[in-house]
Amino acid sequence: MANMLRKIHPIMFVTLVVLISVTLLVFTETLTSAVLEERRQQQIVDELGNIFPEIDNFVYNEEIEVFTLYAGGVTIGYAFLAIGAGYVGDIAIVVGLEDSETVKGIIIISQQETPGIGDRITGGGFISQFAGLSINAVNFKQDGGQIDGITMATISSKAVIDTVRDTAIEKVKQIEGVE
Amino acid sequence: MASFSKEFSKGITISNPIFILALGLCPALAISYSLDNALGMSAAVIFVLLGSNIIISAARRIVPNIMRIPTFIVIIATFVTIVTLVFQAYVPNLYQSLGIFLPLIVVNCIILGRAEAFASKNPVISSIADALGIGLGFALALIVISLLREFLGTGGISISLFEQLFNAGSLSFTLPAFSEHPLAIFVLSPGAFLVIGLLMALFRWIGQKKND
Repeated sequence: MANMLRKIHPIMFVTLVVLISVTLLVFTETLTSAVLEERRQQQIVDELGNIFPEIDNFVYNEEIEVFTLYAGGVTIGYAFLAIGAGYVGDIAIVVGLEDSETVKGIIIISQQETPGIGDRITGGGFISQFAGLSINAVNFKQDGGQIDGITMATISSKAVIDTVRDTAIEKVKQIEGVE
Repeated sequence: MASFSKEFSKGITISNPIFILALGLCPALAISYSLDNALGMSAAVIFVLLGSNIIISAARRIVPNIMRIPTFIVIIATFVTIVTLVFQAYVPNLYQSLGIFLPLIVVNCIILGRAEAFASKNPVISSIADALGIGLGFALALIVISLLREFLGTGGISISLFEQLFNAGSLSFTLPAFSEHPLAIFVLSPGAFLVIGLLMALFRWIGQKKND
């Protein structure tokens, strides 16, 4: 029995160390994630004017996490954050909709795709294809949509396309539910 | 107290991690193209080194010998993850430019090296002195390298780190004639090797002179 105890003691010890470590990290994460959340919100607000140059006011609906955008008192569109899994990590995209059917534009605010390959999703040539498309046309050309993917970066391009389309469809439902 | 200052000063001079022990060269080469990076990296390494040295030294009698290395790695990784999270939240630009080299501090051989060679065999007070000395030695080396590289490579020095942290103004200085045609090689990888190699030679030459 004593022999047995001597054998498992090191395992118990490391397990205990890991438990303490995880507790500490969860605590730190809770502290920092609030700051990150705030910064991300600010980032979206900063990008709104780049998608809708004529914007002069916006209202944020916290419940459905959608910005309603105004110019001269008239609704000119909606914007929201779409997050989807890319090839490496999460891709965060600000999506602007002109109305419940048409995309106004998208801007990628954070991604960790492979430098030189997948990270070309942030390039203007790819991003600009989304402007003016109907939500249902946000797909690869070979899949019935109107977007050319990026050579050698199919997974990253598809991640952006799917994230934008799926989130847009979901948000439109929520927006219509509220109104 | 004599030993405290001895343990402290050895890290800066006779066992300087970069110039003499040639440890931790990977981050030193990769991120030392700007002073901001050097300061951020140094702060992160000093924090992790101090934290891990204190904990490992305090726990040195209860850590089972065969589980020594895994335990050290877990302790070091904990501190590194804390630093990574804090940098991500409070200095996002620095977090971006340090990139992968911030989480890679986990496998920085300076830190595991000090844990194994010093902290696991010595009392807490000397381990603190050791961590501060080695950490400061690393920081000074990084600052000298980055000053040279940034100045030669861009024709000026600029610090925006404090601006991000405290909303203070940014400090910058440029040499007008030089900044139009800087030696761009120094901000690129070959420049890092050149600068570190020459400084290493200089450091050793001074060391030899002193010995004679």
